[in-house]
This record gives sequence, structure tokens and C-alpha cells, in this order.
Amino acid sequence: MMLSFFDQFMSPTYLGIPLIALALSLPWVLYPKPTPRWLNNRLITLQGWFINRFTQQIFQPLSLGGHKWAALLASLMLFLITLNMLGLLPYTFTPTTQLSLNMAFAVPLWLATVIIGMRNQPTHALGHLLPEGTPTLLMPVLIIIETISLFIRPLALGVRLTANLTAGHLLIQLIATAAFVLLPLMPTVAILTAVLLFLLTLLEVAVAMIQAYVFVLLLSLYLQENV
Amino acid sequence: MLSRLVFVSGIVVHASRCLHTSSQSLAPVPPLPEKGGKVRHGFIPEELFQLLYPKTGVTGPYMLGAGLLLYMLSKEIYVINHETFAAASIGAVIIYGVKKFGPSVGAFADKLNEEKVAKAQEVKDVAMSSLVQATEDEKKEQWRVEGRAMLFDAKRNNVAMLLETNYRERLHMVTNEVKRRLDYQIALQDLNRRLEQEHMINWVEKSVISSITPQQEKESIAKCITDLKVLAKATQAKATA
Repeated sequence: MMLSFFDQFMSPTYLGIPLIALALSLPWVLYPKPTPRWLNNRLITLQGWFINRFTQQIFQPLSLGGHKWAALLASLMLFLITLNMLGLLPYTFTPTTQLSLNMAFAVPLWLATVIIGMRNQPTHALGHLLPEGTPTLLMPVLIIIETISLFIRPLALGVRLTANLTAGHLLIQLIATAAFVLLPLMPTVAILTAVLLFLLTLLEVAVAMIQAYVFVLLLSLYLQENV
Repeated sequence: MLSRLVFVSGIVVHASRCLHTSSQSLAPVPPLPEKGGKVRHGFIPEELFQLLYPKTGVTGPYMLGAGLLLYMLSKEIYVINHETFAAASIGAVIIYGVKKFGPSVGAFADKLNEEKVAKAQEVKDVAMSSLVQATEDEKKEQWRVEGRAMLFDAKRNNVAMLLETNYRERLHMVTNEVKRRLDYQIALQDLNRRLEQEHMINWVEKSVISSITPQQEKESIAKCITDLKVLAKATQAKATA
């Protein structure tokens, strides 16, 4: 029974065609292109407003060198939040549950920030390895610890997103199965479980949006350190 | 893609139907519809209901939907499993969200557009009002210029009056001075005449007095005494009578 619960996370193929490409291109289809018109309909107005606000929020603490990343991080945010939210629909596949996808986002972007820091301001970037005000005796230990924490970052980024989404989806499946199985046996308990499922779905919606935001926010923080 | 088809088929393309040579659209661009297509229950287009109305009336599309649903359930084309519950749950969340926050989000989007229009309108209004104000100021200035001629006339009158007054004052002064001088001459002449007169009177008196002899004086005194006696007698007689 447990194995079939993980079937939802298998990369879907149909007659040998990997459908994950379709799943990955779905967000692109859902956002209309900004028009050359001055006044738009509600959808495009809201879309433009959201992207503006988000970009302003993320890039306000960054210096001008970091603003080059605006298009990348804004599009990454839209992509992740759309994939997460679409995954909550029934019978859908969420690409962000795949560790491979999340690591493919986290490692190159993190590595880019580190390399930018090392190239442009190596002393300042290396200085992050030692927090201010540490006692002299602790310095070697702390440097080792900070280096480990630096290299853990891409791992943490990818695994955080994967784990949150996978766990959420699994919970939804489990509780839905419980409600489904209990319905003919103990209808009242089934109703309670359904209520629990409703609350869980609310939580999952929040988690979907927050996880995408946290991913992008952490990347912007790493960029802020190094730019 | 359409351009490729046209090219391949070799049809002559009129100059008015240009291929996409630039990203600019040819004006005038047709206006966008104000609202989206009408939908019933949030996702079924109204056109379906209109399509089925002549044949099946009002309940037609609903019967179609129910029939399709029952067909899929009974033939187990759609199997009810745990995902159905998950679908029901997320459906409830979505419907709740749309019903609760839909109008406010729509109003917010409309407000964003309204603010854009209002800003542009304000620029236009400010420009127009400033131009109107400038026109009125110009008219006022023109009216002021008309009044300036009157101002100049008044000033000219003032100056003329001042000059006139000054001239009259000087004339008056001249008259007074001349009269003073002439009065002096007259007074001088009067004085002369009086002196001459007095001198002549004195001389005549002196000569008369010197010409009176003592003999004449005694005769005149005696005559006076007899006259007085006569007069006294006459009055006495008048008093007793």
C-alpha cells in the first residue's frame, strides 16, 4: 500500500514520451504576455502588479550589481509558485517534488553567487566565513563550521523545497485515503477526517506559496552577501 | 506560420495586408472588450446554454452535465478513490477563495487602472486649467492696457493743472508787486500835495494875521460888543414875551 502512495511522484511517461516536459511548460502557458496597450484587463494588470511588487520587495536591500538578477529571480518565483499551486489539483504531477529539479535550480544559482563573490570581492566573500566578534580561540573551529554551512546551502535549498512539497502531497493522499476508506465503515469519523483534509489543504496552499518565496528569498540573500 | 503559408502558396500579397515586418501594430487598433466572455458557474461558457436552448430549453445543459457525470461514474471511466476526496477538498478551498476574495481582487485591479487613468487625466486637467488661467490673465492685461490711456490722460490733466496753478500764482504775485509800487507813488503824491496845502494855509493865515492892524482890531471888538448887547436885549424880550 505504501509503495502506491509514491507512484504520484514518479516522473510520468506515456508511450515512452516524458510528460514532465509538458508539466514544466504548463506555467508558461498560463501567464499571458504583457500587451503593448496602456490599460489592460484585470488578469494582466494583476500579473504586472504582482511581479512589480515582488521584484521591488526582493531587490530593495540589494545593491545595483544584484539587480541584474531581477529577471531571473522573478521568473523563478513565478515558475515555482505556479508549479506548486498547480500540483495541489487532483491527478496532477508536481515537478518540484523531484529532487533532481530542485537541485538543478539550487546548485547552479548558489554556485553562481559564490563565484561572483569570489571573483569580484574575494576578501569580503571570504570574510563571511568568520562572523564578527568571535573569540580568538574559537576562530579555526568556526571557520570550518561556516565553510560546511556554506556548502550545505544548495543542498538545503533543494531538499527544503522537495521535502516540503513531497510531505504535503503524501499527507493529502494519506488523509484522503483514510477518509475514503472510513466512509462506508464509520461515516462520522470520515467526516472528521474530511474536515482535517480541508484544513490540511489550506495549509498546503500556504506552504506552496511560502516555499517558493523562501527559495527565491534565500537566493537573493546569498546574492546580497556576495555582490 | 501564416506568413510561411502565404509565401509557399505564392499568392500575391496586397500592400495593405503587410506581413509582420515590425512589432508595431497598424493604428487604429480595435478596442479590447471591456469584460471577459460570460460564464455560468464560473467555468461553463454561456454560449453552450444558448446553443442548447432551442432544442432542450433551460434544463438542457444541466441534464447533459448530469448525464455525462453519471455515465463516467457508472461505467467506471472515472473511478472514485482517495483523490476524489482530495479533489473535493481543494475544490472547496478554491471556490471559497474565489467567492470571498474574487470581487475585492477585481476591484483592486480596476482601481490600479483607474489610478493610471486618473494620473493622466490630472496632467491633462492641470494643463488645461493653467492654459485657461493664462488666457484670463492675458485678457486682464489687455483690459489694463486699455485703462492705461485713461491713466495717462488723468496724469496729463494733473500736470496741466499744476502748471496753470503755478502760472496764476506768479501772475497774482506780479500784480501785487506792481500795485504796491503804484500805491507807493500815489501815497507819495498825496503827501506832497498835503504838505503844499498846509504850507499854503499857514502862509495865508500868517499874511492875514499880519495884515490885521490894531485899529481894525479895536473897531471889530467894539462892533462885536454892540452886537452882543442888541442880541441880549432881543432874547430878553423874547423870554418875557
